[in-house]
Amino acid sequence: MSLSKSECERYQRQLLIESWDQERLTNARVLVAGVGGLGGISAAYLAAAGVGHLRLCDSDRVEPSNLNRQILFTTEDIGQPKAVLVGKRLSAQNPEIHIEAISEKMTETNASKLVLGCDLIIDGLDTHSDRLILNQTSFDLNIPFIYGAINEWLGQVSSFNPPKTACLACLMPGELQTSKPAPAFGALPGVIGSLQATLALRYLMTGENPVSNTLLIFHADALTFETVTFERRAGCGVCGKTVPPGR
Amino acid sequence: MTIFLKAGGQLRPMLKPDMDHYTRKIEIEEGMTVGEILEEISLDSAYVALIHVDGRLKDLSFRPSNGQTITLQPPVSGG
Repeated sequence: MSLSKSECERYQRQLLIESWDQERLTNARVLVAGVGGLGGISAAYLAAAGVGHLRLCDSDRVEPSNLNRQILFTTEDIGQPKAVLVGKRLSAQNPEIHIEAISEKMTETNASKLVLGCDLIIDGLDTHSDRLILNQTSFDLNIPFIYGAINEWLGQVSSFNPPKTACLACLMPGELQTSKPAPAFGALPGVIGSLQATLALRYLMTGENPVSNTLLIFHADALTFETVTFERRAGCGVCGKTVPPGR
Repeated sequence: MTIFLKAGGQLRPMLKPDMDHYTRKIEIEEGMTVGEILEEISLDSAYVALIHVDGRLKDLSFRPSNGQTITLQPPVSGG
């Protein structure tokens, strides 16, 4: 594949990186489920890097309480649909890529349709129950899923691609007891969303998953990282069942 | 024997740390499970999303040994 002059200029600095594969990025299709704190950041870096097709899915509208951490939005955006706003913003950032903005809530009914045709899923959701829907869909359609979550000063990242790895339900199968509204340190989605984008770009170019069966935990209050390793759970309600046909 | 429980986030005030900002020192009977220890200190395990020791995932049935630190991870689900 040959890059246009404008693409060569735009991607010049990353093309200098040894083994960088712009063609794979250009041909990639990624679903970003939720474009608030985490998804907004990861989508912005994927767009900037030239991921060829981004599908942005979010049913929320911008609220004043989003603005401490969802830095793609301004005060003037309050009340506007997030997916459409992020779509416009990223199209302006990189007109070389194709962006679909879908203002729908992901449910068990529409998840497969939203994920279908994508090479990778980025989790920018804000409830564990929605993440479990995404995890089930990721497993059913055999599409890898890059997980991220935040609360107060804590951030978590992992990547799931069963049956090669455990899935989210192996790690946290049920509902989580959380306080509402959830406390959120504003810069934390920047760190975690950037790590998700890093994992996504590495995966799309190389197929590597450096956090396979590993949860990376960031403590923003202590500026420390720790890792927790885990295994596929035999009794997992998602990936512990019969392997779908074609695996 | 002595063990150390460590927690951050919304679990920290429930744990009532006494060693440092995150850690509580506890004397337990040998052979107790993490679930039994949490019950003894009246910490509702429903608020514990993950348990890990030395970088490996454990569960409520894990039996700590003397001097071990058990980390209790609170639910992290925002975005």
